[in-house]
Amino acid sequence: MWKTIKSVLAAFFGVQRESRRQEDFTTGKASSFIVVGILMGVLFVVILIVIATLAAG
Amino acid sequence: MRMRHVWMTAGTLFAGLGGHLQASDWNMPVGVTDVSREVYSLHMTIFWICVIIGVVVFGAMFYSLFRYRHSQGAKAAKFHEHTTVEVIWTALPLLILVGMAVPATATLKKMYDASDADLDVMVTGQQWRWHYSYLGEDVDFTSNLATPREQISGESEKGENYLLEVDEPLVLPVGKKVRLLLTADDVIHSWWVPELAVKQDAVPGFVNENWVRINEPGIYRGQCAELCGKDHGFMPVVVEAVEQEQFDTWLAERKAAAAQEAQGVDREWTMDELMERGEQVYGSICASCHQADGSGLPPAFPALAGNQALLDEPERHLDTVVNGVSGTAMPAFRTTLNPVEIAAVITYERNAWGNETGEVTQPADIADMLSE
Repeated sequence: MWKTIKSVLAAFFGVQRESRRQEDFTTGKASSFIVVGILMGVLFVVILIVIATLAAG
Repeated sequence: MRMRHVWMTAGTLFAGLGGHLQASDWNMPVGVTDVSREVYSLHMTIFWICVIIGVVVFGAMFYSLFRYRHSQGAKAAKFHEHTTVEVIWTALPLLILVGMAVPATATLKKMYDASDADLDVMVTGQQWRWHYSYLGEDVDFTSNLATPREQISGESEKGENYLLEVDEPLVLPVGKKVRLLLTADDVIHSWWVPELAVKQDAVPGFVNENWVRINEPGIYRGQCAELCGKDHGFMPVVVEAVEQEQFDTWLAERKAAAAQEAQGVDREWTMDELMERGEQVYGSICASCHQADGSGLPPAFPALAGNQALLDEPERHLDTVVNGVSGTAMPAFRTTLNPVEIAAVITYERNAWGNETGEVTQPADIADMLSE
């Protein structure tokens, strides 16, 4: 789980180590990446909304 | 030694450029409001950040091209990934962008805070003029281009404020927070005065807010900044900032003039009076489309001189001016012009350029019609 999150964060940032990529593609499950990806995408949007609200307030 | 000389020259050049940019026509003006000063300093900060990035990036590139050239036996490196370098070149732009966004957002917040204004002015864009209304003061007027037609057609020399001069400027008091409520009657316009750092779209059916607090008395000029048709370049904005005392006097005079005009509605006007007034109104409102000699610009803008429909059907002529013609460029003038102006311009159009109907339209009749 933690590994999946770290890989999704790396994908957000746009940089990933080649060895980790190989690992994700051999041992990881596509469905878990999709679910974690969507959840973290939503979380990212929520964080942006909170920052914007704080800045405007 | 030679290298140091080059850097010193470059340093002097940039320092000189910075000072020079502030005063030149090439850069945006510092302006005369606190917000415009902030916008200017943001603009310069970001400009210099871009200059530094450009110098570093292109410097590194040209240095590498020269230092590691093929003729000196340089061999290309062939590695596939380098996580550390990739992290640096991703994180650095992110930090630079966030670093620029923080002060920019702080300024934007100030720009959008139009609350607690001392004075509200409604600004309405029309093809092709600005209409200003001082809310709660019963003062409103239209601001038309004042540059003579001969200068535009090249028959006489162009003046200092060519296409940036109007008959009635927007007069505002200095040191007061003035809220601008912007909208439009026909198409999208944009009210733009660089010295005030205001460029706000005026959109039909919407009311946009902006505000200014002008620090220095003076005349500030701008233009419509949204392509709005044939005379887009002929509807300048002129703001005259004056001391509060002078503003109060001006406003009182304006109110008195409006009151006098209202009285004028009730009395009987002579043909000569109406013709004189009508020519004035026609010149500032109608002539941009229908031309000063009434010849129009067919097919979009029909000729009025010798126009048989106009001569035969006075009712329809009146209706066209008051209510406009939907689906054409002819706007409704029932709110832009007062009854005296409508009566005068109708009388003028029915008796000028060889249109000799001899018909006189009285302001009182127009007032009756408008109040129905």
